[in-house]
Amino acid sequence: MLDAPSRTGALRCEGITKAFQGVHAVNGAAFDIPEGQVTALIGPNGAGKTTVVNILSGSMACDSGREFIGETEVTNWPSHKIARLGLFRTFQLSRELGGLTVLENLLTAPADQAGESLVNVLFRPGLIRRQERENAERALHVLDVYGLYRHRDTPARELSGGQKKLLEIARAVMASPKILLLDEPMAGVNPALIELIGGYILDLKQSGVTVLMIEHNLNVVEQICDYVIVLAEGRTLATGRLSELRENTEVVRAYLGEVIDAGPAH
Amino acid sequence: MVYYIFTLVFFCFDYFILAMGLNIEYGETGILNFAYIGFVAIGAYFTGVFSLHSAANSGQHYILGLGLPFPINLLLGGIATMAFALIVALITLRRLRTDYLAIVLISLSLVLYDFCNNFVSIFNGADGLYNVPEPYAKAFGLTVNSFIPFFACVTALISLLMWFVMSRVTRAPMGRTFRAIRDDQVVAAALGKNVFRMQLKSMLIGSFYAGIGGGLLIQFGGSFNPTAWLPGETFVIFAVLIVGGAGNNIGMFVGALLVETLLIHLPAFLPEIPGHPGLIEYFDNAVVGIVLMLMLWFRPQGVVPAGIRRAATFGVVERDHDSSLPTSTEMPLLSSGVGNE
Repeated sequence: MLDAPSRTGALRCEGITKAFQGVHAVNGAAFDIPEGQVTALIGPNGAGKTTVVNILSGSMACDSGREFIGETEVTNWPSHKIARLGLFRTFQLSRELGGLTVLENLLTAPADQAGESLVNVLFRPGLIRRQERENAERALHVLDVYGLYRHRDTPARELSGGQKKLLEIARAVMASPKILLLDEPMAGVNPALIELIGGYILDLKQSGVTVLMIEHNLNVVEQICDYVIVLAEGRTLATGRLSELRENTEVVRAYLGEVIDAGPAH
Repeated sequence: MVYYIFTLVFFCFDYFILAMGLNIEYGETGILNFAYIGFVAIGAYFTGVFSLHSAANSGQHYILGLGLPFPINLLLGGIATMAFALIVALITLRRLRTDYLAIVLISLSLVLYDFCNNFVSIFNGADGLYNVPEPYAKAFGLTVNSFIPFFACVTALISLLMWFVMSRVTRAPMGRTFRAIRDDQVVAAALGKNVFRMQLKSMLIGSFYAGIGGGLLIQFGGSFNPTAWLPGETFVIFAVLIVGGAGNNIGMFVGALLVETLLIHLPAFLPEIPGHPGLIEYFDNAVVGIVLMLMLWFRPQGVVPAGIRRAATFGVVERDHDSSLPTSTEMPLLSSGVGNE
């Protein structure tokens, strides 16, 4: 039985708003993401889910509201600083680093690489070589687990859609995340792969990673998510377990009701 | 004949350096630096004024005039170019990306050109700097004819050293992060990369190469004036980069050889077409433009395409299986039901 998240949630936001030329995409979203759990962010199309993820990860600035990672306020921090605190994300439409190989995509992720400093590049090649070998070994292991080992030397732009989805998650895993925001990790992939990705997410949870995922497939939500946040018209409509939310008439009307996957018109 | 061949050798290696600098900015990091020739000019002018003695009795107007020996003046010329790049980057890189950055930089190139052309007291205006001392000419007793082969060889050595350094940079995680930023800035930032800082690094390295390449130009010819760096010259270096193969340092040498040496400088030594003096040289830019279009149409990756770095080169032991299925059985897979709508 999962209790309501405490004040020390891994990720917390209050009154987030964001308008695009007068249209309020997010209008006061507020929620806590419990630490070490898998939380689903659901809601009809246009509810502002991706915008919320963009704001939480620093890819986009919000107009007002506050965001906290643990106890640290990170409102409108740039995304590279948020990433330093261990929050990483994937994108709804896969954004692979196309010109890099699959392995290089993963090798981009680790923080604090000695080889990113010119002084080390010029004077400490041994240190870089050692670190590169360690990172490459770990990256190849991650690729192995994610079924991409065979494609390690393939330029990422040549992967299929499903493989790119896996690469996105693998790359985020390579960054050793504490909090992972997954924007529709299972959209447009075949059922077998959905099962696979679901397994990876549960595995991440077991290793202590806090996961927030946008997901439309309620079967998936039911099976792997501990906690659900319903967003509608940019506001947090309800939070809780899916079974509880099914009883909530507002939620049913906004999302669960007639149409499940396509997202109702509103 | 010797003069002729070694002039070509000089330009080939000098443009090799210039193209490597542009390559790290554009080919690796994706910074569309349309003001590149302006950075080359800054390097040339500063190398000149560091080398020239005081302007008092020279009949020229310029700042500094420190009379420093080669290669200290050259090195400082490169550093001065980096300082200039730092100012430009702080103003432009933070706010602007891709096309917008390119537009601002091309404007910068034009403004810089007009400024140097008309403001006489810094770099002698439209006349430019001249009588710049030829490095080691006195010490080695070099004549006008023997200086050219000598300096072409010096340039070749410097370019090889700079190639060695550049190939380390592009092979290191630094180069990989540059390429990540080139491919997708948002993703690079989401992975914790400070995009501005990395772009700044790239631009400083590229500008150092621009400055050294420019410094060698003024040392080779002994003079440098605004006709040598019309803003359109940037596109000749872009042509070198695209023909050679963006993202590949060896390609920069091939591009310098094909474009700068064969297309730009070789025709200057061809016999004139009777009755049409100077006609051949006028065709230079047209030919470069046509070659550029043909390359982009038929071989956009360049003569020597950027290679990929294979897993094996990281010194890891590769597994012998080549399965596309996950091998780890510890992965808790979902029991059933998920995804079966």
